[in-house]
Amino acid sequence: MSHFLLEMDNVSKTFPGVKALDQVQLQVKPGEVHALIGENGAGKSTLIKILAGLQEADAGAKFFFEGKEANIKKPIDATLKGISIIYQDLSLFPNLSVAENIYIGRDSENKGWERVDWNEMKRVATEALRELGVEIDVTMPVEKLSIAKQQLVEIARALAFESKLIVMDEPTSSLSTNEVEQLYKLINNLKAKGISIIFVSHKLKELFTVSDRFTVLRDGKYVGSYDKEELDETKLITLMVGRKVTYERRKEKSKVGKPVLEVEGLSKEGNFKDISFTLHEGEIIGFTGLVGAGRTELAQHIFGINNPSDGIIKISGQQVIIKSSEDAVKKGLAYIPESRQTQGLILNQSIINNISISILNQLTNLWKLIVRKKEVDLANEYVKTLDIRPALPHMSADKLSGGNQQKVVIAKWLSTKPKILIIDEPTNGIDIGAKTEIHNLLRRLASEGMGIIVISSELPEILAVSDRIIVMRNGRITGELDITEATQEKIMNYALKGKSVQQAPKYIVEEKISQGV
Amino acid sequence: MKAILKSKEMSIAAILILLCIILSYLSPAFFTFSNLTDVLKANAVLGILAIGMTLVIITGGIDVSVAAVTSAVAVITGHLMIYLPDSFLSLLVIFLVAPLCGIVFGLINGYLVAKVEIPAIVVTLGMMSIISGAILYLTNGVYVNSRNFPSIFIDFANAKILGISILVYIFFAVAALTWYVMKNTVIGRSVFAIGGNSKSAIRVGIDFKKVQMFVFAYMGFLAGIAAIVQTAYIKAIDPNGLIGFELIVIAAVVIGGANILGGRGTVFGTILGVILLGVMQNGLILAHIDTYWQKVVVGSIILLAVSYDHIQYKRAQSQLSNIKVEA
Amino acid sequence: MKNLSKESILGLFLVGLFVFMSLFAPGFLASSNLKNMMFQLPEFSILALAMMVVILTAGIDLSLTFVASLSGVVIAIALSSGYSIPMALLAGLLVALACGLLNGVFVAKIGVSPILVTLGTMILFEGINLSITKGHSISGFPSAYNLIGNGYFFGLVPVSLVIMIVLIIVTTVLLNKTKWGRSVYMVGSNPIATLFSGINTSRALMWVYLFSSLMAFVASVIMTARYNSAKVDMGSAYLLQCVAAAVLGGTQIQGGYGKVIGTVYAVCIFQILSSGLNLLGVHRSIVDVMIGVILIAVLIINYVSSQLEKRKSIKEQAKSVA
Repeated sequence: MSHFLLEMDNVSKTFPGVKALDQVQLQVKPGEVHALIGENGAGKSTLIKILAGLQEADAGAKFFFEGKEANIKKPIDATLKGISIIYQDLSLFPNLSVAENIYIGRDSENKGWERVDWNEMKRVATEALRELGVEIDVTMPVEKLSIAKQQLVEIARALAFESKLIVMDEPTSSLSTNEVEQLYKLINNLKAKGISIIFVSHKLKELFTVSDRFTVLRDGKYVGSYDKEELDETKLITLMVGRKVTYERRKEKSKVGKPVLEVEGLSKEGNFKDISFTLHEGEIIGFTGLVGAGRTELAQHIFGINNPSDGIIKISGQQVIIKSSEDAVKKGLAYIPESRQTQGLILNQSIINNISISILNQLTNLWKLIVRKKEVDLANEYVKTLDIRPALPHMSADKLSGGNQQKVVIAKWLSTKPKILIIDEPTNGIDIGAKTEIHNLLRRLASEGMGIIVISSELPEILAVSDRIIVMRNGRITGELDITEATQEKIMNYALKGKSVQQAPKYIVEEKISQGV
Repeated sequence: MKAILKSKEMSIAAILILLCIILSYLSPAFFTFSNLTDVLKANAVLGILAIGMTLVIITGGIDVSVAAVTSAVAVITGHLMIYLPDSFLSLLVIFLVAPLCGIVFGLINGYLVAKVEIPAIVVTLGMMSIISGAILYLTNGVYVNSRNFPSIFIDFANAKILGISILVYIFFAVAALTWYVMKNTVIGRSVFAIGGNSKSAIRVGIDFKKVQMFVFAYMGFLAGIAAIVQTAYIKAIDPNGLIGFELIVIAAVVIGGANILGGRGTVFGTILGVILLGVMQNGLILAHIDTYWQKVVVGSIILLAVSYDHIQYKRAQSQLSNIKVEA
Repeated sequence: MKNLSKESILGLFLVGLFVFMSLFAPGFLASSNLKNMMFQLPEFSILALAMMVVILTAGIDLSLTFVASLSGVVIAIALSSGYSIPMALLAGLLVALACGLLNGVFVAKIGVSPILVTLGTMILFEGINLSITKGHSISGFPSAYNLIGNGYFFGLVPVSLVIMIVLIIVTTVLLNKTKWGRSVYMVGSNPIATLFSGINTSRALMWVYLFSSLMAFVASVIMTARYNSAKVDMGSAYLLQCVAAAVLGGTQIQGGYGKVIGTVYAVCIFQILSSGLNLLGVHRSIVDVMIGVILIAVLIINYVSSQLEKRKSIKEQAKSVA
């Protein structure tokens, strides 16, 4: 009889094009809080999906729960064994009542025609919420609740299931400080009852507060499992990243040219207010702030996807009105969105078609017909200069790695020869080597005279590429710093200043990394 | 209370009431017991099918084979009826065979959608082509009148309770049954859950495929019932009688407030949509307006309803994503 | 066999079917039968191409054949009340474009899902048509007009067939060689990324519905000229067959993929199947059954082969990693 509640061994998962997990293991003791940690793309979420029965591991994986071999093929298998998963984006039904949301799923298979026991449902739901120490009307539809309360409903669901193992994926990301405290208390209560918790978070401090043991993943591989006492933040970061320092921060401001983009008093109700700044040729401005500060919205309004309600935009000194994204491209703007897969690329199309899409007008003959050869030449040129691998321009974009996908998006925009490039979370989900490569590329473009806005939540990234840093909070600019005077503390101060943290910072690991190092 | 008043069902009901008031003013024949029950009787088939379609649409599917399936079941049971003796048992046999046939058709659709993962519109389009082709081949399109039916069936078709045709009761029974299933059974709640958030539904262990199978099978079941009602209503077997009817069924569901992208819709809303269509048709006849204009009106209502709905939805979405800008 | 595209396999199937029918269907190669097929093909394939382009954008146009019949009725009324042929055609064209514009406004500008919009406009257009014609057919055109449907070039090639071939080429060029055509595929694959790439997706969609109504207009001219009359249900039998032809031709109903040649092959297959089976003495309605069976069978085969491929590629990967 093993002394582990959960034992996963030799777990691999292959997707077409990537090996997401490679012989990973995870052991969780009864009544412990186990931190699962790793960078974006390290394989945490895949591992959780396998545990949840949403995905099946490749053949050869061993899986024991309560000492018995467990066969989890479907989500219901996990639920029935006593494994609950609380996903970051929650698994709620907005149109159903709180009680139903808590109760749902327990009506296991083959009971389709059974009558729903509304009284029992309400009783279970009320009790679970009481255990959680919150009062919510169980008859209310969930869509009427705040995000924080919705998450409590989700946690109550796991409690109502009397789960032996609860997986919490970034559970504190939308809770207030008070609620976070309450959650910690609750976790301790659960521990006392012998319930185990797998806690996934990017906030290292938090992990050290709640966790007993750590399992570290890196690039889909198992790095190791450690007791809390064996680790400190520095050591943990080294394990996650595989080396010590990530980026070198910039020390000096580079020389800049004429103003290329001037924004004065730009406002849009419900998004941002009174935004003014000037971007110069050859300059990189880093826009940072908490997730939800309005940076992405600002970028999309400048790029013409939405129209601002007030304010002036000038490009190269000329006042302009940008009506659409098409218009923006004509005026020399380029925008690389945050989500490569859904907003940046057309995944089922070839690298060629993805690169040429924004300048098809220029790849035509006298008859306005697209000349394929010009497209292929264009793609080949960028495949070469940006070192896109594999160098197969006819391959569809979904088969590329994250870093190479990002290069394709960058190639698309470079081909338009923009004066201004706005890039949103440029290295999200890209491995470290490729990150540095993209930073160098951005610096090179700036030195060639392009004005660049980098939006990023990663402070080290901001410090590594920017000449100037603008901090936003709740839709307003709260601070502006030259790279020479900027420190992480100052930036954080602007990002959080004078407010109780309603939306807790969702900074990703690297920020903590450099604090730790 | 405010929520109820603002709900979509209430706005359809308001339009319906307004229409009724106008019609009673225009024609004294409108607001009579016999006329109103006739409207219900004439739209019982539409209502039954629309109720089934509501469930399919809530889960994000669509079924354009309903009219063909209904016709097929009507042809099968109609021809079966010719050989049945004039006994109460015959009625029972019909009420067993028809829904069963319908369920079989529905399960085929459901299997292809859920297990083979072919888009619902393509599956049901193909099934429609197959079934209606087969019906035409087998019947040669020949209309069979009631002379060959057992008289018990004719008695059933003419039966009235409290002066209301039994077909109307069947319609309401179907509505009540469906309402009960949707409200109080696990499978019914699963339909709503999938409609609300299919990703969550899969995560909490609701078997999406099973629910898809269920909604198509249930649609087939109701098509079987509708086949009996249709045969009883026209007292004949008409292999061509329902050609193109599937789109009217979908129109009724859409007017009733269901969202074709899945997620929203209620049995009650659909019934209102059906009655609205029925009353409009009836009203145009009573008001001596050319019936051809009915389609113009229905088409316009669909366009208005879906755009209004879409604009509301977009507004709600953008409000959800708003940031609280500091003053 | 492995390196053949979906479309080429379909083409081979078409050739095989043609050979089969030539061998076994009595009188299949007779000039009267070939003539019949040549005259029926154009209207169907033009409508099917229109439907395919809409499906490429992840849409569907249920109003397509009703746009055709409304435009046909307007042409018929104009002709029978003595207007010249060009004037009548212009009137028909304007009506068709107005219909397309209406669809386009709801789909592209307001953003309502195409199936709902075109369901509504389909009923609307049918209603307008009925209100005009009271369900009667309108006939009596100048014989010069009928030549479009029945005439030959050089006494050999039907005029309508030439129109069809021109439109097939035009559609191919538009889809593959123009910015609009590329946008059609891109919007069908990922509308957000397309918008974010600086493409005016709303305008591209608008043109899609205008294009489909334009094609409906041409089909309506051919049909009215061939039948020498116009009626509300003219061509309505083609509606769902067009969807079936596009899907059989390899077009993805979720949008983003599909080739003109595939749809043309599929239309030809349907045509040969129905003529051939008819000559073989098979009941006309069995053709519908066959079309449905082929449609579903093709998708089942697609599904099974894609499952097999997925399994294979993962296995290979596992091997190469190990």
